[in-house]
Amino acid sequence: MPEKIKGYIGKQLRISLNDRSYKTEKIDTQVLKDYLGGVGYAAKILYEEIDKGIDPLSPDNKIIFATGPLTSYRVPGGGSIEICFKSPLTKAWGEARCGGNFGPDMKKAGYDFLIIEDKATEPVYLLIDDNRILFKDASHLLRKTVSEKTRMIREELEDNDISIMCIGIAGENLVNIATVMFEGRAAGRCGGGAVMGSKNLVAVAVKGSCKIEAENPDDYNIALKEVRNVVKSSEIAKGFREFGTMGDMAGNDAAGDWPTKNWQANNWGKGEELFDYYSKHNFIKNEMCYKGCPIACGRIASVKKGKFKTPKHDGAEYESLSAFTAFVFNENMDAAIHSSYLCDEYGIDTISAGAVIAFAMECYEKGLISKEDTEGLDLSWGNADLLPVLVEKISKREGIGDILADGVLKAAKKVGKKAEKFAIHCKGLEGPAHDSRSGKALAVTYGTANRGMCHIHPLEGMAYDSGKFDFGMIPYGVPDPNTVDRWDEKGKGKIVKILQDGLIMPDVLGVCKFFMYAGVTLEQYARLLSSFTGWNLEGKDLVRIGERTNNLQRLFNTREGFSKEDDSIPDRAKQRPLFGAYQDEDRCIIKDYEGMLDEYYEARGWDTETGIPTKEKLMELELDE
Amino acid sequence: MKIKVKLYTILKKYAKGKVLEDNTIILHEDTTLQGLSRSLSIPDNIGMVFMINDSPQGKEYGLRDGEEVKIFSFICGG
Repeated sequence: MPEKIKGYIGKQLRISLNDRSYKTEKIDTQVLKDYLGGVGYAAKILYEEIDKGIDPLSPDNKIIFATGPLTSYRVPGGGSIEICFKSPLTKAWGEARCGGNFGPDMKKAGYDFLIIEDKATEPVYLLIDDNRILFKDASHLLRKTVSEKTRMIREELEDNDISIMCIGIAGENLVNIATVMFEGRAAGRCGGGAVMGSKNLVAVAVKGSCKIEAENPDDYNIALKEVRNVVKSSEIAKGFREFGTMGDMAGNDAAGDWPTKNWQANNWGKGEELFDYYSKHNFIKNEMCYKGCPIACGRIASVKKGKFKTPKHDGAEYESLSAFTAFVFNENMDAAIHSSYLCDEYGIDTISAGAVIAFAMECYEKGLISKEDTEGLDLSWGNADLLPVLVEKISKREGIGDILADGVLKAAKKVGKKAEKFAIHCKGLEGPAHDSRSGKALAVTYGTANRGMCHIHPLEGMAYDSGKFDFGMIPYGVPDPNTVDRWDEKGKGKIVKILQDGLIMPDVLGVCKFFMYAGVTLEQYARLLSSFTGWNLEGKDLVRIGERTNNLQRLFNTREGFSKEDDSIPDRAKQRPLFGAYQDEDRCIIKDYEGMLDEYYEARGWDTETGIPTKEKLMELELDE
Repeated sequence: MKIKVKLYTILKKYAKGKVLEDNTIILHEDTTLQGLSRSLSIPDNIGMVFMINDSPQGKEYGLRDGEEVKIFSFICGG
């Protein structure tokens, strides 16, 4: 009998779409001990199972739905699923996390991981109900919005509670910035929706009845109580609950952390006014993304009347609404709410959508895109009426939207005429609503994050420098952030290395990262995990697994041809702002990015000439096979 | 001296009982922004951004009578 893996289901479901077959596979215990789950385990599978250079939109790509060992309704933040694949947007490591019931329900269905291969000959959706796996016709779901698809599948299955992740129209159209949606929540970045669309997989529905017992239930309950108490007493958790992610809009603007007008500036001075308008006119109530979340940072919002009238929906987030205000120089919050809502319904990433529209507006201003190119559309800065129109055109690949649908890097190449200088991205992923001129660690996290210029992994750099969050990482070598100036460059490379290895762990463990912002430490996660699995783990063991994961994802990118030059950041993310409160502030300018990068490589044990992990480092991390 | 103070999101509660209804606070001369935050009992380990008359300033900035101070913190979401 194989060893029973405590704390896990111990099984993964492998789906072959071309012949509509599946198999249930037992998982190697040692691999779980080395990678735990989430983006760690998925990196191991994708690195081993897909070949270098494959077309991300071909049947050769695989898409993995990965839970972590702490994905559970009982664990604070445990409503989490990671979707991993080779990105069609960047051709690099691709991952996207989504909060909601899907992760815990996939575990209840009896699977730690779901690996999807090949391509269906006709559109299908999957029903996973314990051991019952069905391939269901999805042709009638095509061209429906996300909420329509979700409703139709639930009606068909006669189950109003079943967890469903689906793509929108954009995923069907292989839009490179397409999302995979769980109701109003998005696994947003890197184009996972296009990968699903390329496989003719429209949706996955899961439910089940499995239970996982903890190895040491008494210790587990004590560890759970400890984490719950941290969250209960956390000022940050209260802040998330009361204000949501939108609560940062005015503060980030003031801090010079709000990229404005396609990163021409890092401050606009409109954040307070826009947040006040949203609070008064749009915000309705807060919402849990999964059953029982003690933070409940989600926001239900609407636009009650006018040309941007929008029904109540979940999804009014800081990133989304910054993308449709500051990025594009739009002062109309109703238009931003409406555009963000349409992104979720059509299934495109709000951040990339806002960024690619800002790019197009700047090209239009500079005469690189003409009114003829836009079929008469006025792409002037701040044109609120244009925003929902372009969201629809991108999702449907219509007109200028067809060019923008592939993200800023590819769009810049198509536009030509030096448009690349207006494409704000790292490794092909569009920049989010935090500005590296607010603190220098963010520059290094942007440049070196394996999936590119995202809003999750790099954010610890900004939170450390400006927010003075230490994340409980001081025992692992991070200096007290209150002793570090946000604009210092020396030392930031080393700090970033340590932060990255610790702060990747929520995405490995299968929990929401906001709980580390609320004060939960790696030691507390290690106690939870140890009591659940019976393994004897400490915080330092999690840091090592984080380091292994970061290196393996780096190897994935190295194999795809990425190197040191791909760790660069856009000039605008380093240079003096063209306007705003920081235009005369010399300290916000990044003077020696290369120096910070070299320091980072040295801390990582990577070759400073190439940015490739050294053989010694790989041996140390047992990645040298 | 009399200073106008506005606190945001998670910092709002520190105004209670210290900032007057007209959003002002009376401070002695030579008070810095750090001195203001301490007089409001805001913990030192909270990351803050100060704007004086909508211009960013560091915590060592010496306040002057009649200035308007906005103090922002970070929830750090999204």
